[in-house]
Amino acid sequence: MTSTERIQSTVLSLVETVNINGNMKEEYEKLAQEEEAVNLRLESLFKRQCHIEGKLRGMTKVLPNLQIVHSDAQQLAEMITFTSTLAENVSAKVRQLDIARSRASDCQQRVHDLLDLQLCAEGVKASLHSEDYEKAAAHVHRFLAMDQHLLEQTADIAEDCTNVTNSFSLLQDAASQLRSVVNLRFDEAVRAEDLASVERFFKLFPLLGLHDEGLEKFSNYLSTKIADTANGNLKTALSTQASDRRANIIFADTLTLLFEGIARIIEIHQPLIETYYGPGRLLRALGPLLRECDVQLRRIVAELQRCRRLEALAQAARAAQAGAGPRAEGEEAQEGAGGEVRQLDPALGELAIAHARYALFERFLRRRLAADADAGAATDADRRARLLEVDAALARGDTCRRMQELLSTYLGLERLFMVQSVRKAIALDALDDAGAGAAGGLCSSAVDDVFFILRKCIRRAASSGSLDGTCAVINNAGALLEEELCSALRARLRQGYPSGYLDLTQAYNSVLAGRLQPTDSEQQRVLFLAALNNADSASEYVETLVKQVSDEIPVSTPMERSKLDSCLHGLSSSTSGIKSVLDYGIQQLRASAVKPRVGPWVDSFQSVSHQLSEDEFTAYEADQPFVQTLVRNLHGLLENFKESLTPGNYDTLVTILTEEVTIHLEKAVFKTSFNRLGGLVLDKEVRALASFLTSSTSWSVRDKFARLTQMATLLNLEKVTEISDYWGSSTGPLTWRLTPSEIRQVLALRVDFRSDDIKRLKL
Amino acid sequence: MEDYKFLFKVVLVGNAGVGKTCLVRRFTQGLFPPGQGATIGVDFMIKTVEIDNEKVKLQIWDTAGQERFRSITQSYYRSAHALILVYDISCQPTFDCLPDWLREIEEYASNKVLRVLVGNKIDREDREIPTHVGEDFAQRHSMYYLETSAKEAENVEKLFMEIAAELMEQARSKELPRYENNSPTINGRTTVIGDSNCCSRMS
Repeated sequence: MTSTERIQSTVLSLVETVNINGNMKEEYEKLAQEEEAVNLRLESLFKRQCHIEGKLRGMTKVLPNLQIVHSDAQQLAEMITFTSTLAENVSAKVRQLDIARSRASDCQQRVHDLLDLQLCAEGVKASLHSEDYEKAAAHVHRFLAMDQHLLEQTADIAEDCTNVTNSFSLLQDAASQLRSVVNLRFDEAVRAEDLASVERFFKLFPLLGLHDEGLEKFSNYLSTKIADTANGNLKTALSTQASDRRANIIFADTLTLLFEGIARIIEIHQPLIETYYGPGRLLRALGPLLRECDVQLRRIVAELQRCRRLEALAQAARAAQAGAGPRAEGEEAQEGAGGEVRQLDPALGELAIAHARYALFERFLRRRLAADADAGAATDADRRARLLEVDAALARGDTCRRMQELLSTYLGLERLFMVQSVRKAIALDALDDAGAGAAGGLCSSAVDDVFFILRKCIRRAASSGSLDGTCAVINNAGALLEEELCSALRARLRQGYPSGYLDLTQAYNSVLAGRLQPTDSEQQRVLFLAALNNADSASEYVETLVKQVSDEIPVSTPMERSKLDSCLHGLSSSTSGIKSVLDYGIQQLRASAVKPRVGPWVDSFQSVSHQLSEDEFTAYEADQPFVQTLVRNLHGLLENFKESLTPGNYDTLVTILTEEVTIHLEKAVFKTSFNRLGGLVLDKEVRALASFLTSSTSWSVRDKFARLTQMATLLNLEKVTEISDYWGSSTGPLTWRLTPSEIRQVLALRVDFRSDDIKRLKL
Repeated sequence: MEDYKFLFKVVLVGNAGVGKTCLVRRFTQGLFPPGQGATIGVDFMIKTVEIDNEKVKLQIWDTAGQERFRSITQSYYRSAHALILVYDISCQPTFDCLPDWLREIEEYASNKVLRVLVGNKIDREDREIPTHVGEDFAQRHSMYYLETSAKEAENVEKLFMEIAAELMEQARSKELPRYENNSPTINGRTTVIGDSNCCSRMS
C-alpha cells in the first residue's frame, strides 16, 4: 500500500467517523430525551405509591366486615322467604273466604229472584187484569233483569220445578202480551192525539226492553207534529201579502219557525228521554225528526227558489255582466242591470238570514248531541266513535247539503250583485261637491260608493254565519277592487291632464254649475284630479275596511282566525294595485302640468347675469327679481292644486315639483358664469327657494336641495384652495352629493378661478 | 317577526275524492288519514320549507271538490301563485273533467299562475289512465305533470318542493309579490303591471 493510498483510506474512514459521529449525536439526544421522560414517569409513580398503600391498608381493614354483611344478608333473605309463605297462606284463606261469600250472596240473589219471580208472576196477572200497565211493566222489567238462564238451571235442581217453570212461562207470556198491548195503546193514543197517553206508553217501552222501538215510534209521532206545523207555516208564508212588513224575508222566517219548532221539541223531550231511556240515545231518537226536517226544508227552499226567482235573477245578472263590460257603458244595459241588481238585494238579505238561522240550529244540534254522546259513552274510544257518528249524521243530512247549496247560490248572486253595483257606481260617478275643499281635495262619488257596497256585502256575508262564505266574499271584493276600480281609475288617468291655461277653481265651478259650457280640457282636468284623489283615498279606505272587518267578524278558533286573516291580507294587498295607479297618475301630472311650466320659469335664471359689481349686487339683493318671480310662479301653481288635491297627493305634488325645479335649476347653473358676488347671490336664491318649498309641505324636501346647496357653496368660495375646508378629512357632517368631476365643473363656472388651480386640486 | 322570505299561496283543485286532502295531509303532517270525509268549503294549512337556505312559507288551500262549494273555492283562484289540478289515475271520470277545471281556471285565476297537473293514487292496481295520456294532456295545456301517491308518500314531497322552488325562481325575477323579512307588506303584485304607454318611473 502506497502512502497516498493509506492517506486516502484514512481520510475515508475519518469521513465515515464524522458521519457516524453525527448520527450518534442524534441518537444520544434521543436517548437523553427518553431518559428524561422515564424519570418523570418514575417520579410520578413514586408519588402515587403512598396513596395506593393507604388505600390498601383501608381495604384490609374493611375485609372482615364483608363476612358479617354477607351472613346478615343471608339471614334477611330467609326471613323474607318465610314471611312471604306465611302471607301466601293467610291470603289464600282470605281468598277462599271471599269466594265463599260471593257464592253465598249469589245464592241469596237467586233465592230473591225466585221469590220475586213468584211475586212478579202473580203481580203481572193481577195488574194486567186491572189494566195497570205501569205495574205490569214494572214486574216484567224486574223479570227481564233476572238472569233467566241461571233461573232455569235452578229450577231444574229445585224440588218445586213446576212452580218455577210455570211462573216463568207465565211471565214470558205476560211480557209479550204487554209489549203488544203497549204498542197498540201507543198507536191508539197517537191516532187520538192524546198526548198524555202517548207519553204514558212512551215511558213503558224501555221497561219492556223496547228502547229502540219506543224512540222510533215517539220520534215518528213528533215528526208528524212538525210536519203539520211546517205545512201550516208554509201555507201562511205563501199567502202573505207583498205589503207585509216581513214579506221580503218570509221564507227565512218559515225556515226559522221550522228550526225553532224542532229545537223546542228537543228541549222539551230530551229530559224525558234521558230519564226513561238513559243518556246516549238522543241521536237515535232524533233520526226521524231530522228526516222530517229534511223533507220540510226541501219544500221551503224549493218555494223560496221559485218565489224569489233566484235562477232568473242570476241569469239576468249574468247576462247584464256579459253584455255591459266594465267600460261599455250603454245607458239602457245599465238600466236593465240596475233593475236586476235592485231585485237581488232583498233576495240576498233573505238568503243570508236563512243560512244564519241554519248555522244557529246546526250549532244547537251539535252541542246537544255531543253532550249526550259524551254522557252516554263508557270509554274514551267509545266517546270518540260516538262523536264521529254525530258529525257524520249531521254532515250526511239532506238539510246540511241543501243549506250548503243555498249558500253557494247566495255567494254566486252576491258576487254578481257586487260586480254590478260596483260597475254602476263607477258608471254613475259624479263629482262630490260637498267633499271639495272641506275634506281636502276634489273627490267623486265612485270611491265612497264602491267601498260602501263592499262593506255592505262583506257584512251581509258575515251575517250568514258561514266563515267560508265570508272569506269568499272578501276574496271577491279584493278582485273587484283591482279589476274594476283600479282599471276605471287608470283609464281616467290615461287620458292625461291637459296642459294649457290653468284655472282649476273656475273650471271646477263651471263643471258643477253646469253653466258656462266648460271646455273639454277643463272638465278633463277636474276629472283627472278627482281620479287621482280617488286613488289616494281608495288605498286609505282599503286599510279601514280591512280593520273594520277584522274587528267585526266573530271567529271561534285560531284556525278560523288565521283563515280570515289570510283572506283579509289578500284584500289589503289590493292597495299595491291602487298605489301603482296613483304613481301612474302622478307621473302623468308631472309630465303635463309640472314639467312644461317649470322649465321656462327656471330658464329665466340664465337671463340674469351672475357676474356682479358691488353696486349691482346691492341693487340685485334688494329685490332678488329671479327668485321672487319663481317663488311667485310656484306659489301660483301650488295654490291652484292645493284646494283640489288630497293632502297626500298635494305633498306628492310638492315633492315632484321640487324635483323638477332642482333638476332644471342645476342645468341652468351649469350654463351660467359667476363671480364671487354672483355665487353669493345664487346661495341666497337657493336658500329662498328651499325655504319656500319646505314650508309648502309637511314632508321634508330639503334633501332634494342638497346638490344645489353644495353647488352654491362651491361658487361662493373665496379661493379655489378653500375647498379643502369642505373636502376630505374636514368634510365633517357634510355628505357630498357631487362627484369630484362635477366639483371641478362647478368651480370652472367661476370666471375668476384659474383652470390650472382647479386642475391641481386633489379630490 | 315572521322569519320567512317568501310566502306562496298554493291551491288544490279537482273532482271530489281524488285525494286532495290526503296529499295536503301527507305533505304537511306526514299522515295518511284513511276514511277521510269530504272537505267542506276550504281548509288551509301552512308549511314552511327551506330552499337554497331560504325559508319559504307555503300556504296551502285545500278546496272541496263537490259542485256546491264551487262558489267558495273559485274565489281563491285569483290570488293563488300555484294551482294543483288533481285527478285519480284509477278513475276515468276524474280525468274527463279536467277540461272543465281548466275552463274554470282560465276564468278565475291569474294568467301567470303556475299550473301543475297531478295524477294521484298510483299505489292503486286498477289504473285507468296511462302515464303518457296524463303527460300528453299536461303538455298540451302547458302544465307541469307529476304522478303521486299520498298513501305511499310517493312524489308528494317532490311535488310541493318543486312548486316552491319554481315559484321562488319566478319571485327572484320580480314577477311575484315578495315578502320582506321584517315587513309583511307586499311590494309588487302579480296582477298589476306597468302600463305600456306609462312614462318614466318615479325616481
